[in-house]
Order: sequence, then structure tokens, then C-alpha cells
Amino acid sequence: MICKSTTIKDSKGLLGRLPTLKADVPEFVFIATDNARCPASEVYVKEGDHVKIGQVIGLRKGPFFEQPIHATVSGTMVGYEKHYHRSGKLVNFIKLQNDFKEEWDPSCSPRSDEEIAKLDRKGFAEILKANSSVGLGGSSFPTYVKFQTEAKIGTILVNAIECEPYITADHRIMLEEMEKIIGGIRYLQQAFDCKNAYICVKAKYTDLRQVYGAFLKRYKDEGIKLKAVGNFYPQGWEIAMIRSATGIKIPSGHLPSEFGIVDFNVSTVVGIYDSVKYNRPVTDRLISITGDGIRYPSNFKVRVGTPIRSLLERCGGYKHPEKDKILILGGPMMGASLPSDDCIVTKTVTSVIVLDAEEHKEEPCIRCGSCLLSCPAGLEPKQIMDAVKAMDKKRVKELKPMRCVECGLCTYVCTSHIHVTDYIRRAKTIAKLP
Amino acid sequence: MARMLGDVLIALAPTVVMAIVVFGLAAFRNLAISVAVMCLAEFVYVLIRNRIPYDGKKHTFKEQWKAGVSKYTINNFLAPCLSGVIFALIMPASTNPGYVIYVALIVGALVGIVIGKLVFGGTGSNIFNPAALGMVFTKLCFGSKFDYESNYYESNYFITNIATGGTPLTNLGSYTYPGVSNYVGQFAGINDYSILDLFLGRVPGMIGEVFKITILVGMIYLLFRHAIDFRVLVSYLGCYAFLMALAGIIVCNKIPTVSFGQFMGFAMFSGGVLFGAVFMFTDPVTMPIDSPSRVMYGLLGGALTVIIRIFGALPEGVAFSILLCNMMAPVLDYPAWSGREYTKKKVAVMASIVLIPAIILVLALLFAPEVKA
Repeated sequence: MICKSTTIKDSKGLLGRLPTLKADVPEFVFIATDNARCPASEVYVKEGDHVKIGQVIGLRKGPFFEQPIHATVSGTMVGYEKHYHRSGKLVNFIKLQNDFKEEWDPSCSPRSDEEIAKLDRKGFAEILKANSSVGLGGSSFPTYVKFQTEAKIGTILVNAIECEPYITADHRIMLEEMEKIIGGIRYLQQAFDCKNAYICVKAKYTDLRQVYGAFLKRYKDEGIKLKAVGNFYPQGWEIAMIRSATGIKIPSGHLPSEFGIVDFNVSTVVGIYDSVKYNRPVTDRLISITGDGIRYPSNFKVRVGTPIRSLLERCGGYKHPEKDKILILGGPMMGASLPSDDCIVTKTVTSVIVLDAEEHKEEPCIRCGSCLLSCPAGLEPKQIMDAVKAMDKKRVKELKPMRCVECGLCTYVCTSHIHVTDYIRRAKTIAKLP
Repeated sequence: MARMLGDVLIALAPTVVMAIVVFGLAAFRNLAISVAVMCLAEFVYVLIRNRIPYDGKKHTFKEQWKAGVSKYTINNFLAPCLSGVIFALIMPASTNPGYVIYVALIVGALVGIVIGKLVFGGTGSNIFNPAALGMVFTKLCFGSKFDYESNYYESNYFITNIATGGTPLTNLGSYTYPGVSNYVGQFAGINDYSILDLFLGRVPGMIGEVFKITILVGMIYLLFRHAIDFRVLVSYLGCYAFLMALAGIIVCNKIPTVSFGQFMGFAMFSGGVLFGAVFMFTDPVTMPIDSPSRVMYGLLGGALTVIIRIFGALPEGVAFSILLCNMMAPVLDYPAWSGREYTKKKVAVMASIVLIPAIILVLALLFAPEVKA
């Protein structure tokens, strides 16, 4: 297949039509002490302390920013345990025992509308920083950083494209949290002082387009529009979405705000609404548990900190328990594969995908060039792979692997089943060397 | 990968069937010998390559055999099979004396697969197209023994009233025309062949490359399945047609009996241009990987073919131009100037690849002196 291929198998089926199930809050929840962006942390509570929902129990420290850690249940802290984080690493988790009283911390009191109307961009940034709002689409990029820009913003984009196969969490959010989405967009319009707001969805989601076509008639004069963008992969990538929705091409290494654009994931918008209106951090989120290996794929609204094993049981377990399974957190193309199902739902987990393991033997590269033609970032994956194999640092740097967004398309299109993306990841570590 | 190799084999199937129908056992013998030799060579290579590494113990041949066979995949069969079929189709049906064809097939297939591919590390690592290398080697060694005059050409499919001393292209060398140089004069002979006969393959030639219809069917299939890169195909045929058209204009003016249409038809449908463009130039392993480099590769191939055909001592230039372009592929891939964008520099290089041979061609055809025999 020597051609540019950007369509991948969707595999979503009818999961987007199923209503979201509410998962029980488990007896023990686990809160990660550190994540990929913040490698160090400080915990304020000790064993035996009583905590309430929304209480700050620690601080994650990264090189550029700090994030408060919030408790997501009321109960007592009982210690630390090691589990797998969504990045695929073994990470220390704070273990909280639930007392099922659902008591909120007194600091999480709703704001009045007058109070919100007075807020400016800096005020929003402070609220979001205190509530540790991050990109819930999977990037876990702190949202308040986007509010710190001084640039004049002309367009707000809300990303509900969800171009990864299997996942339907954003699809359900779009249908179930409509009021919150509109509320969040209003706050964004106020913060950035800009009228134009587009909600981007894939053109093939006719149900969303019909529902929003009717729903947005209520908000005629507010400048909120639904924008149907392409069906290709990776349409959900920031740069590709901006290009499709507005026609602006953002060169690598520049921020969208330099071009007057800010963009948020749709679940982040819901999170922003909750933080601003109710002053609450993200305690629940929507995830899809799906894949060919699971018996009953479903969407769940789960408490952050729930172990995934209990959710898998809720889905009826594995379809073929005798086969080897692959567990992926956060999309089959870009997500991390986990060595075990002993992992925890964090804020940024969008899905758990269970697939039957298939053996694909790597064949020699026949230089067909499909990876070069398909790469959305304009890279040359095959050349980077060769440079990595030769450990040629200079040449790896020349080929600019840092531009790679790890969409996984090069591995997908490879006619010889080579894991090209893994080589690019290695190239990134090589390129970071002095 | 198996799918792409399979696609090319399927695309070759009509040509293979046509060759067997017309040439009968001779075509079958060509195919069987070359495929068998190439597959066997690859199998031995797999055995050698996957020997059990030295660990102090002595391993019996049976253990070594098992270790090798376990690494033998479908690709180790399909890839040499494909090379073998292509090589068989660009060999003649018979030789004079008759036993030479066996030697030629075995030696050519061995040289093609071993020197062209296996010494570089097998599939995916080769620099040269194995079939083209084998064909060129055979032609240089046994070319004078090739025979297009045997009884195959007296069957109903062929017209026998024309002088069949050789292929249409080899015959050109014997023609001259008063008052013009030899480069132009050779084309006085093209009126002896009708375009229809060339198109249908009713002329002497290699057993596969004469049947243009089946080759075109294969080409459409390959393009439809995206198994070949259309950039190379289009740029190769485009450059070839453009340069041949330039030559055609000059030749038609100098020799009034040759019409332009006849010249172009002869240029496109004689020899192995179409076969080479569809099945050999588009071999992805031996071509550059960026799309601009691929365009350059195709243009270079077209220009070289024209130059060799008109000025070269050899009548047929496709296999040679393939090998020369294969050598240029790593140069075009060099990271200092390769890249996915069509920059101004690259377009300039593409233009010069076409225009420099064009200027040489025009000057030589216009001003070369007449050579008195």
C-alpha cells in the first residue's frame, strides 16, 4: 500500500448510543502522588487523618508548575500502595478508605453569578490552578497555563473529535452534559473576551450534529457554533483540528495562542465549568471500557481513583479469558500498554481498551514509503528509524523527531508490521542528549 | 509486505499466461528454472543466515536445519519467486545453440539473486534489482547467442514475412538513410513494423515484455491496489515520452518517410520500456523513499533509457538504466538534501535532469555528421 492513508478502522460500533452507567464508588480509592509532568510530590496528610472530598492532601511538583492533589472521597487515609499509572509506570498511590458519607470540604462552596461576572483572565487562571484543572483529553497539560497568555484571542475551539478508535467517552459527554458545556464555553468567552466559539466534531457523527443543531438554537446570539471537521486520523490533534476548523496552519514550535486561538477538550470544558461554578476539582469522569476482548463494552461515570479491575468485572469480564490480553489506557493508537490490569483511573484516563493479543512478526522494511506519505507531522519515520538503528545522533537531530506527536499512524500503515513509533520514541531520547 | 509481493505476482499472472500460451514449453522452462534457482538460493541463504550461534557445543546438521527452517517465512518464498518470474519474462525463448539457454538461465538467476540481493542482506537491503542485474549479466555473457529466429515465430500468432534477424530494436542498427547521421538514420527502419503488431506482441522479443496488453492490465491492477508508486511510473514514462517526442520531431523532419505517430508508437511499444516501467522501476526496495526523490529517480531513468537507446552501442537500455538508477537511489536519499517537501531547489534539479539530456539529444541529432560506412 504505497499511498497516503489517514483512515483507520473506527471500531466504535454502537457504544456511543449506550447511556452512561454510574459506577459504584469503591471502598478504597487511590490518588497518584506524581505523574508524567510532575515527578516530585509532597503529601500533607498522614496515616489515620480524616479527609473530605475536594480537600487538598498534597502537592505535585513539576519543573514548570505545581498541582495540588485533591481527595476524591471522604474517609481516612490508610497508607501508600504501588499501582500502575496510566503512563504504564509503577507509581506511588495514596490509599483512602471511603466512609460513604460523601462530605465535601468547606472550601468547595459554589460561587454566585455576580462573583463570576467580575472575574477576568487572571482570576480564572487562579481558580483553575487551585483546582488543578488539567487537559482531560489525555494530555494532562495544566489548563491555567493557557489562561496566562496575554495575546488577543479571536477563536475558541472545543475539541470533541475523539479520532481514536473504540473510545466514545467524549461522544457521551457531548450528549449528556450539554448545559455544562455551554456554561463552560460562556466562561471561556468571558475570560478571553471573544465571541467566536466552535465545537468541533467529526462530520460523520450525524446524531451529534442533529442534536446540537436543535440545541444551539436556544443560544442564538452567543456565537457558539458546531463545526463538522474531517473524519480522518489524527483529526483530534490540536494542529490538525485548527487547520480543519479555521484554515490556519500553525508551524511546529509555535503556540496556537500566537495565532489568536485557544483550544480545549470538551471534558476539560466541563471540568472548567465545575471548578468555576462550584469551586470543585474533578472528582468524576467519563470513561469507555471497550475493545474486542471485553464481554459488554460500556461507558462509565467513575470516581477518580477507582481501580480498573472492579470496572472490568462490571463489564462482564473478558470475552475469551483463556486468550492473552492487551490492556491499553487512553486509545489504541497513542495510549500506553499496561503490563497488568492492576491500575487506577486517574483524571486523564479516557478509556480502557482490552484486546486479544495478536502476534505480528516484524518483517524487513521494504522501503515502501507509506510512513513518510502518511505522517501528519511531516516527518520521515523510516529515515529516523535507520538513524536510530545506526545510533547516529547527529542525523537523528537533523530529522527533528521532537515534532512527532506519537499518533501511531506510521506503525498502523507499515506494510511490514514494524513498530516504527517505538523507534521514534527512542529517537526522541537520543535527540535530547547533548 | 506479503500482500504487496502477492499483488505484483497477481499483476504478472496475465503476462505469464500469455507467454506460456504463445511460447509453450519454452516459457514454462524459463519460469521453472529461474524461480527454482532463485528460491533455492534464498532458502540456502536463510539456512546460512540463521545458523545456531557458536556456543562451544557441536551441533548436528539436523539441528542447524531446524533452526534455519523455523525462520523461513512466506516472504522468503514470495520475494525470490517474484524476482524469478520477472527474470524469466525478460529472457528469450531460445538460443543458438540450444543448450546455452539453460546455462544462461541458471547463471543469470544465480548472479541476480546472490550478487544482486543476498550479499547485501536479503529482502529489503538490496541495492540492485535482482532481475535486472541477472538479465544484464546474461546479456553481456550470452547476448550474441540469443536467438529470435526459431520455429516459435512461425506459429500463427506471429507474422513471418518480416526480416526476423532479431528484435525490432536490434534490427535498427543495420538501417541507414542517405544524408543523415547514423543516430537519425537508424529510424528509417521503423516503418517495417506496424504499431498494432508491436502492441499485440506479434514481433520477436523477450518472452514476457512483448505483450503490451497484459502488461497494461497488470499496471492498472497495481495502481488500483496501490502496490506501486505512481510517481515513479508517471515520471519515468513521461520523461521517456517527452525526450522521444523531441527526437521524433527531428527524425521526422530529416527522414520524410517516417511519420511522427509511427515514431512515437514504435518508441513506446518496442522493447522492454513498458515492462520495465511497470514491474522493475517500481520495485520499492531499490528506489528512494521521499516522493520528490522518487520523481527524480523516474526522470533519471527515462532520460538514461532514451540516451542508451539512441546513442548506445546496445539496442535495449531499460535494464541498464534500472541498474544505473539503483546506484543513484542512496544518493537521492542522502539526508542532507532529501525531504518530503518539493522545494525550489528540487524542482530545479528535476528540470535539469530532463533538460540536460534534451539539449544533448537535440544537438546530437541535428548536428552529428554523416558517417560513411
